[in-house]
Amino acid sequence: MDLVLTTFLKMAFILAVILGLVPVLIWAERKGSAFIQDRTGPNRAGIAGIRLAGLIHPIADVLKLLFKEDVRPAGVHRVMYALAPFLVFFVSLLTYAVIPFGDYLEVGGRRIPLVVADLDVGILYVLAIASLGTYGIVMGGWASNNKYTFLGAVRSTSQMISYEISMGLALMGLLLVSESLRLTDVVAGQGQLLWGFLPRWGVVVQPLGAILFMTAAFAETNRNPFDLPEGESELVSGYHLEYSSMKFALFFMAEYTNLVVASALIATLYFGGWNIPWLSRAVIEARAGVLLPALLAAHVAVCALAAALYLRRASRERGKFGDARDREPGLMAGVCVVAGLAGLAALALRPWEIGPAGASLLATVLQVGAFVGKVVFFCWFFIWVRWTLPRFRYDQLMHLGWKVMLPLALANLVVTAVVAAFV
Amino acid sequence: MVKVTIDGTELEFAAGTSLFDACRTARGEALPHFCYHPDLSVAGVCRLCQVEVEGMPKLTIACNTTVREGMVVHTRSEKVRRAAQQILEMHLINHPVDCPICDQAGECGLQDQYMTYGLYESEVGKSDKVHKAKVQVIGPRVVLDKERCVLCSRCVRFCDEVTRTGELGIFNRGDRAEIGVAPGRQLDNAYSLNTVDICPVGALTSLDFRFKKRVWLLRSTPSLCHGCATGCSVRVDHEAGTVYRLKPRRNPAVNGAWMCDEGRDTYRELHADTRLREPLLRRDGALRPATWPEAWATLAAAAGPAAPLGFAVVSPRQSLEEIALFAHLAAVLGAPAAGVSGGAREADRGEGDDLLRSADRAPNRAALAWLGLDEPAGADLAARVRAARGAVLVYGADPAADAPGWREAVAGRTVIHLGTHRNATAESADIVIPLGAWAEKDGLLVNRQGRVQASRRAIARPGLAQEDWRFLADWLAAAGATEFPASLPDLRRWVAGRVPALAGVDLNALPPEGLVPGAVAAGAGGER
Amino acid sequence: MNGKVHGYGGKMTLWERLYLGEIFRGLGITIRHVIRNLLHTGDMPTVQYPEEHRAYSPRFRGRHRLMKREDGTPRCVACMMCSTACPADCIHIVAEEHPDPAIEKAPASFEIDLLRCVYCGLCEEACPCDAIRMDTGIYDLAADSREKFWVDKEFLLNNTTDGTR
Ligand code: SF4
Ligand code: SF4
Ligand code: SF4
Ligand code: SF4
Ligand code: FES
Repeated sequence: MDLVLTTFLKMAFILAVILGLVPVLIWAERKGSAFIQDRTGPNRAGIAGIRLAGLIHPIADVLKLLFKEDVRPAGVHRVMYALAPFLVFFVSLLTYAVIPFGDYLEVGGRRIPLVVADLDVGILYVLAIASLGTYGIVMGGWASNNKYTFLGAVRSTSQMISYEISMGLALMGLLLVSESLRLTDVVAGQGQLLWGFLPRWGVVVQPLGAILFMTAAFAETNRNPFDLPEGESELVSGYHLEYSSMKFALFFMAEYTNLVVASALIATLYFGGWNIPWLSRAVIEARAGVLLPALLAAHVAVCALAAALYLRRASRERGKFGDARDREPGLMAGVCVVAGLAGLAALALRPWEIGPAGASLLATVLQVGAFVGKVVFFCWFFIWVRWTLPRFRYDQLMHLGWKVMLPLALANLVVTAVVAAFV
Repeated sequence: MVKVTIDGTELEFAAGTSLFDACRTARGEALPHFCYHPDLSVAGVCRLCQVEVEGMPKLTIACNTTVREGMVVHTRSEKVRRAAQQILEMHLINHPVDCPICDQAGECGLQDQYMTYGLYESEVGKSDKVHKAKVQVIGPRVVLDKERCVLCSRCVRFCDEVTRTGELGIFNRGDRAEIGVAPGRQLDNAYSLNTVDICPVGALTSLDFRFKKRVWLLRSTPSLCHGCATGCSVRVDHEAGTVYRLKPRRNPAVNGAWMCDEGRDTYRELHADTRLREPLLRRDGALRPATWPEAWATLAAAAGPAAPLGFAVVSPRQSLEEIALFAHLAAVLGAPAAGVSGGAREADRGEGDDLLRSADRAPNRAALAWLGLDEPAGADLAARVRAARGAVLVYGADPAADAPGWREAVAGRTVIHLGTHRNATAESADIVIPLGAWAEKDGLLVNRQGRVQASRRAIARPGLAQEDWRFLADWLAAAGATEFPASLPDLRRWVAGRVPALAGVDLNALPPEGLVPGAVAAGAGGER
Repeated sequence: MNGKVHGYGGKMTLWERLYLGEIFRGLGITIRHVIRNLLHTGDMPTVQYPEEHRAYSPRFRGRHRLMKREDGTPRCVACMMCSTACPADCIHIVAEEHPDPAIEKAPASFEIDLLRCVYCGLCEEACPCDAIRMDTGIYDLAADSREKFWVDKEFLLNNTTDGTR
């Protein structure tokens, strides 16, 4: 019973974080690309004048997509056509089951591991699920009965096959090092230090493997520079061309959940997962009395700074728009002040006298936070790369996959095996 | 014959030829001119047509000079060009140059000459000009702007020499001289709009055409006036499917350069509200729009193998080919055919005169005789229709309005009307077929001289209306005839073969002035 | 920004063919833009359109207007020069008699289909009366139906010239 309850709670937490992240990522993609290209990006949609630099736009988008007509073109395969977006989205969520997002949570003396399913074949599961994702794309592209969508689907499959291999080989190198297929073990192993000062992260012991894996991850998620399945310039928008309304939204959301999965995998396998370098659980629990007040103080300082900036903006742009938008900086300054005051109030509770249970909780929170932070960073990295690089040509893509990545991955595996056998 | 050297080329002309015409032949284009007109007497007042004749001390006007043996003429010398330019400048001294509001703009002699010979900077300010009356309505159809007049006197000569009514004259002297109507009179003769045509500038303009369209937007199609049996050659000026005016087309054998005012109004019937735009079938006592397939089905039931046609009448307003094809169709359907007699039609009779207008207002009556169709008088027609059993077919005519006793004769019988307008016959018909009006199709007319002339299609038919010969040919095919034309040239060859008078005439290659069969050798083409 | 530009078929160096270094260089360039734009939002070249308007040259051809005579009637004499010159065939004029014989001709209706107009300015160039001008500076034409872009004489006569709507 307990197991069921905690599992559900963990799933709920994961879902909340991911589904919360998706709109933020869409926003980051738009705003980030705008800033990279010296544009302003979204800044219009607002609720009572509150625009949050464009963060309200995803809400407007969702509303729009919900109320759009669901057009189904003539000649589609009805069942497949309807099923494809759900499959894509569903599969993209499945991988999370095995990704540990924290060490454990101590409740009433019981330790709940922060992973939904701690499979002993976690990595295999990840690979298996990842290759399922392409089925939805193929189904959607084929069922749409359109040559562009079909080409997109075909590209997606061949791309998937080409990069799956190097991905698997890169992972095998990591397995040799971590000596376990269980992701919790892989993460825990990365908590140690190498030669006493270097975190034993996957990227440190398997640098080439990390690069190969990340490259393959880009390809698997169909992100630029590997976004040929939806290459707008040649395929209009690829496999989801014929989709509209919420079905399109599912494809769109799946793209971003896939992004989060890929980021989580990269963070888990090669960047220490929930580990905070040099701050192991023991250290955090021992120093909780210092860490917590320091964090709170930092929070108060950040809030004060933000409030000051907003107030400056408020005084500079008084009456700029002549409508509700003029109130935004003032309101935001107020919110920052309240948040800062809350931090101060927390400081007043003498957090340095924190007990062992609290210290354990703090450690868990910090670790989960570190994990989420890493994931968010890699998500941004995906976006950042997308707006930096041009798209590959298809022959270049294949060349890279088969003639560069595959030999490198094989070499990496052999070298790792040799080293692992003799060290 | 006399030999003349014009611009270095030696040419021969008949003695008495005017130097103006000789120069036109030599140059390929006319000399600049305002007052000269081939169908009017020579006035020699505009002084634009001056040429250099060797041996003469000064330039001379070509229009008032006849060719002499051994004459050496220069029309393109610098002296001649300067003269034309200076004369033009004098014409324009008091000219208002209000081209933007002038209906003549685009076909104006002043504009054309200025662009060819003028192109100088004017030294006369607008305020220095002598102003005269504008917008003078001098007759039921003509507006006069005295400022724009260049006093070429063409209009005066027209009224004096052609219509011999003499309404117009030149009044006052010097730069006060102006055109006007004689006191107490109006420019209201039956040919008044010809003054508008010959006025080289915008001094005389048409009240009907006034401000309707800028002339450069119009497209012209050579055609024939369908107003009376004279069959004047005309030009149909139209744009975007709308006809805006008719202008005479010079044809010395028929109408010279003129046409009558009544004839110019005939374009209006093309755009009347009563035009038939789709087939109409009588259902529940009223005529209701129908599709072509429905119309064909009804036609086949009313006058096909199952129900033979009773009688067929055709109007002398249809073209030669159409009448011939129609008569053939009537024969195939087993019905006697006749023309609708002019005697029966008061509408076919009008005022005639010895200039152009014919009292016979039907443009193609001669064709009926050629094709052996008689024209029973009103009561006669009714009697013959009554005598025949079966449906009655009417093509282009309106016997219900014109022929006494017609309504009684067709009472209770199916009446099929092929036509262009909702006239009385159409209103009382059971099947109404919309066809093209005269400007919407090609056709040949035989005028009162027996001259065959071609009228050309200018605009598109309205709505679902069909081209006449195509409809008749389709019906022939549907009726099981073996002989029906595949194209209009085909049809014309077929017609020429059926009419003895047309033996040896190629109806597909008629000269612009038409021809009188049998009189070709006699030079009926006339001289220019 | 200071990267080498390779012509088509140009040879890449080994370092460039390794991609990674160049990718990180590119990432550096883009992140510099992000940071600069984050810190100096005000310097963005973007024009915040409905609130801000770009200042156009006085020669800019905006929405047409019809000039008036002193008595407020249109200066246009319906000569159709503009509609003849118009390459888009979007000026539709019907002429009528003006009661004053010194003016003689005036437009009964004067309509422009702004959706067909290509803003070439040939109409104002062609007008002999300086009756049509495109100096209003109005360029933001928006409406929720096509009919509203079909503007008539009244509208054109009362078009403002200062660029406001
Ligand atoms: S008469 Fe000729 S030149 Fe004079 S205003 Fe009319 S178009 Fe212009
Ligand atoms: S009104 Fe016309 S035709 Fe008559 S004199 Fe004047 S210019 Fe000549
Ligand atoms: S600007 Fe050009 S396209 Fe537009 S109305 Fe004027 S002439 Fe026509
Ligand atoms: S060109 Fe000028 S005067 Fe002529 S119709 Fe156009 S706006 Fe009116
Ligand atoms: S044409 Fe010869 S003087 Fe007028």
